[in-house]
Amino acid sequence: MTTLRVIAIRFASALLMVGLISLLVFIVLRQLPIDPIGMSLPPGATEADRQALMKEFGLDRPVIEQYRIWATGLLRGDLGQSVNLRRPVGPLVALVLPATVELVLVALIMGAVGGVLGGLTLFAVRRTRLELVGDVFTSILVSVPEFVWAIGGILLFGVWLQVLPFIGRIDPDVTVPARTGFMLIDSLATGSPAAFWDALLHLILPASALGLTLAPLVTRVLRSSLLGVIVEDYIHLARLRGLTERQVLTAHALPNAALPTLSLVGVQAGFMFGGTLLVEVIFGWPGLGNMMVTAVRSGDMPVIQAATLVYCLGVLVITLAVDLATVALNPRLRTR
Amino acid sequence: MSAPKRPRAPMPLQGLLGMVLVVALVIVALAAPWIAPMPPNEMDLLSVLAPPDGYGSPHWLGTDALGRDVLSRLVWGARIALAVAVGGAVGAAVVGTILGLAAGALGGPVDWAISRLVDLWMSFPPVVLSLLLVVALGAGLGNVIFAIILVDWTRFCRVIRAEALVIRQQDYVSAARLIGFGRMRVILREIVPGVIPTLVTLFALEMGIAVRVEAVLSFVGMSVPADVPAWGQMIADARSSMTSAPWTILAPIGAIVAVVIGFNLLGDGLRLRFDPRLQGRS
Repeated sequence: MTTLRVIAIRFASALLMVGLISLLVFIVLRQLPIDPIGMSLPPGATEADRQALMKEFGLDRPVIEQYRIWATGLLRGDLGQSVNLRRPVGPLVALVLPATVELVLVALIMGAVGGVLGGLTLFAVRRTRLELVGDVFTSILVSVPEFVWAIGGILLFGVWLQVLPFIGRIDPDVTVPARTGFMLIDSLATGSPAAFWDALLHLILPASALGLTLAPLVTRVLRSSLLGVIVEDYIHLARLRGLTERQVLTAHALPNAALPTLSLVGVQAGFMFGGTLLVEVIFGWPGLGNMMVTAVRSGDMPVIQAATLVYCLGVLVITLAVDLATVALNPRLRTR
Repeated sequence: MSAPKRPRAPMPLQGLLGMVLVVALVIVALAAPWIAPMPPNEMDLLSVLAPPDGYGSPHWLGTDALGRDVLSRLVWGARIALAVAVGGAVGAAVVGTILGLAAGALGGPVDWAISRLVDLWMSFPPVVLSLLLVVALGAGLGNVIFAIILVDWTRFCRVIRAEALVIRQQDYVSAARLIGFGRMRVILREIVPGVIPTLVTLFALEMGIAVRVEAVLSFVGMSVPADVPAWGQMIADARSSMTSAPWTILAPIGAIVAVVIGFNLLGDGLRLRFDPRLQGRS
């Protein structure tokens, strides 16, 4: 089977998954104790008004029919109307999504870099006394949830030392004209390094709260795959050829140990995308998570529906991307 | 019939540390009425947001914005934490193990269906799914536990399935089949004992995860009722006063972190202790 076919199959199964997920999201959300009609009716409305509105929203039809209407809308990029804001949901999502994606990407980079450095350090101290210390330390790091890092960061750097901002994406006094919605890109594109710096400062605390949950996992997996690789014959051979330990590590051990780490990062990046919800709430980050929590509190069904779907799609896209990267990097997966 | 004697690997240091923390949680939770200095919901309105101090104040860890004793709430909160940890982990383990065993041991269409279900389930980010479930089910301790089970059974299912697939290929399982033992008997008597070490490890880790999830749900205001002293609830209550009275938020956070660390270290220790591949390597 060629690489192309493998990729085609992965894509096809991802598409099938999207269909199933949208169906599941639709059916599950019907079960929520939310009455969109009741919330849309003015006080003093009669039963006839209620029936009329039900008909207008299409809620008098069977669930499968409702799903068909919603799904065909989805295919055209129409996510429906927000009940509370009386605006189409699609543009609302498009407005907040870049904030979430920016946060995830920066967190991912921080977590991966930190994790790889940690893994190399732990590998370097293998079979010494420091190893046990490192082991216990990573075990402890793994246990600390992201909201604890977030609150700890706010208390330490925001409140006590007062060196880092902890509310929103950028200082209210600084304005960045929205182009892509990514603060870091927009501020650079408009040529204002001050705004870029401010946006970066605002990213540090929330992104490290997320990144710190990823880093120790990367550390562990990288370390254990390095330990597994280092006893292989080709490493022994490379040493016999007179390569230095550093050359052996970078040219032979790391590339082979990288794959398990990459697939772990893939799985965790998916989780992290969901984890942003909480971090966004804590930091008042104007992203998808805050939008969803607000929608849940006010029972805005179309927004909840769209946000859930976007979260699932995000996880799917990340998983697929990492899947493809693994296939591309691992020759053994190509010809099977 | 006794298993051949093999030198017993000692419990690694992580595991011992974890055990100490977990045992402490259980003791505090069970003995809450005797340990807590005052009732958890009693409001001392004369000393609101009193800082923690040891100089004769009755509130060792200070009071919260309603004048409630932080230490007492912490102690009573251990009960909720333990209930969520045990309830969530037992439920998720039972559901996940049954489905995982069915998939791994039966194979074929059963395996295919269960694996696709897990894939589908895993495309929902856990936080998003648990939030939706609690909204759908309504708040309350039982529903929080139920939501944790519904979200986390996949963790058990995936691992147990993989483990069962491997064990199914072992000679002793084939032998048992050739003797003519029924399918049920082979699964229960030959495969289940093989997955137990993994199950125990996962169980310890899941208890930590359950405690975290409860805190997360409380944080967005979707967990136990407000009058129940739970750690997550304490964090949520303390958010408005955290800048002026950090002890109100540091106390429950410290408790959660300690308990989660305890369960994780215990899980790590059990894994090192049971996994023959990891033994003799240090």
